[in-house]
Amino acid sequence: MWREQFDRYWRGLLLSGIGIAAIAWLAATGRLGWYVHPRYFWFTVTLCAIAAVALCAAVPALRRTPRESAAIDAVHDADVDHHHSPGPEPARPARAALMRVLPVIGGVLLIASTAAALLVAPPTTLSVATAQQRQVNTGGGPAGDAAAAGEDADHDARDWALLLRQGGGALVEARTAEFIGFVLPGADGSSDIFFAARFVVSCCAVDAQPLGVPVLSPDWQADHSEGSWVAVEGVFVANPDVTSDQPVVLRPFTITPIDEPNDPYVY
Amino acid sequence: MAAVANRSRTFALAGIAALTLVAAISLRAITDRAGDALALPAALADFVALSLSVFIESLPFVFLGILLSTVVQVWVPQSIIDRVLPRRPALRRAVLSVTGVLLPVCECGNVPLARGLMMRGFTVSEAATFLLAAPVLNPVTIITTYHAFGWSDGILAARIVGGFVIANLAGWLLSRSADQSALLTDGFRAHCEHQHDRHPDSRMQRSLVGIAEETSALMPALIIGSALAGAIQVGAPRDLLVALGSHPLWSVLALMLLAFIIAICSSVDAFFILSLSATFLPGSIVAFLLFGAMMDVKMLALLRTTFTARALALLTGLVALCCLVIGWGLNLVA
Repeated sequence: MWREQFDRYWRGLLLSGIGIAAIAWLAATGRLGWYVHPRYFWFTVTLCAIAAVALCAAVPALRRTPRESAAIDAVHDADVDHHHSPGPEPARPARAALMRVLPVIGGVLLIASTAAALLVAPPTTLSVATAQQRQVNTGGGPAGDAAAAGEDADHDARDWALLLRQGGGALVEARTAEFIGFVLPGADGSSDIFFAARFVVSCCAVDAQPLGVPVLSPDWQADHSEGSWVAVEGVFVANPDVTSDQPVVLRPFTITPIDEPNDPYVY
Repeated sequence: MAAVANRSRTFALAGIAALTLVAAISLRAITDRAGDALALPAALADFVALSLSVFIESLPFVFLGILLSTVVQVWVPQSIIDRVLPRRPALRRAVLSVTGVLLPVCECGNVPLARGLMMRGFTVSEAATFLLAAPVLNPVTIITTYHAFGWSDGILAARIVGGFVIANLAGWLLSRSADQSALLTDGFRAHCEHQHDRHPDSRMQRSLVGIAEETSALMPALIIGSALAGAIQVGAPRDLLVALGSHPLWSVLALMLLAFIIAICSSVDAFFILSLSATFLPGSIVAFLLFGAMMDVKMLALLRTTFTARALALLTGLVALCCLVIGWGLNLVA
């Protein structure tokens, strides 16, 4: 009886409660943006608040009907199982016991792992490994007027990356830039160039695409580790390596290690 | 006296539930202070982050769907449904397929809503028509698609028309089934049958119990679906898919596969695929926008709470085939 009640009512309440608690905490600490686009913040928080009230109200409501309806459904489920079981032999006691216990173990494991992921594991942003798995500078929106608008000083790594995509980089040559990004090795494994990149999120972290600016810095590995954050200031110049995929690169004046920003993604 | 005691007990239980929620938030705050001691290896941390992003993005939509489903089941009088919807099955399905305009919920929120429709007595084919059409034919999806693509290459028109046609075709095919209830899982069928047998005290009581039941049915599926989507993201390199962008057929298949594994919300998928629009042909974009809104790995996990594996295979195959034909055809004429 308790198993039917747990499966039918309490499992959902527990899992929902874990999700609501995690989202409330992420929103309160300003880290909801690590998972979803800011345009969803109010919608997510509002719906979770409504759901929290509904779930708290549902707990006393379950006091009256659960035993009755769960009992009805348990009987019905038994009927269904009976009608659908093709073999004349009843299940062996050991197997029947196992079949009763397995869903319970599965349910407990699901709740425990959900709680571990949402309430125990530290919240993280995507690592450089995911950036390396996705093609750099293939996403992030169309290379267009939006990136070109505004002052150079206001451009972030995404704006410069989009401008670089236009006209083979001619638009940015000789312009100075200052922005932050994480260190992302080039796909060709060059020791002279790394990308100062940001993840661009259009909906949630699943669709995050890395956009970055190629920075000419021979033996950069000696000073910077993959995934570490840097502030870069420099000027765009033609790449001295004419065989490279990057016709224009940033020749840095300074590359300063910094801590990961609170808002690592751009939207 | 008994009523007062009963009310006090109700408030006490609700208060305990609220305190449990506060305790969970406190636990999160405490574990956060542990810092690097609880840090996961990079690959596992990425898997958790990606899975959580799918889960957190979907959860409010699932809650909204459950609330709307409860309203449809418990609070909307049958006479209104009878008055508004036509009696002829094809017309009825056609009207249901555009009700997403009034109930703008993304695809994962539509699952509880479709379950609610079936519990209210709608047929499987009618609920499936709504389920497939509503994520495409709703104002949020249409506006974001217009915002991303405008009228260029007929992408918006193809998405709207394609969504309507595929949903109604699938609904018509399911309506030809001799026993539509055989497409449902035993558990959900039994649940529907017992909806009419129960006589709880009030509509509010029915609503609250229904919310608990629906969260119990859908939350495990949402969590497993989110974890699957996260795992696939970590394991499947996108370079391979993107490399197929200029081929009329392979590009359609590649983007349909991408839509299936990325499991992104239909209301914003246009913004995501816009970033790949320079690489892929327009027909492939349309196939992505149609297929992803109707089927993905997370949706399959959610739908499995309701439909048999055979019914889901049939539905997925049909939708995939239609999207492939539309996308490939557009690529050939573009």
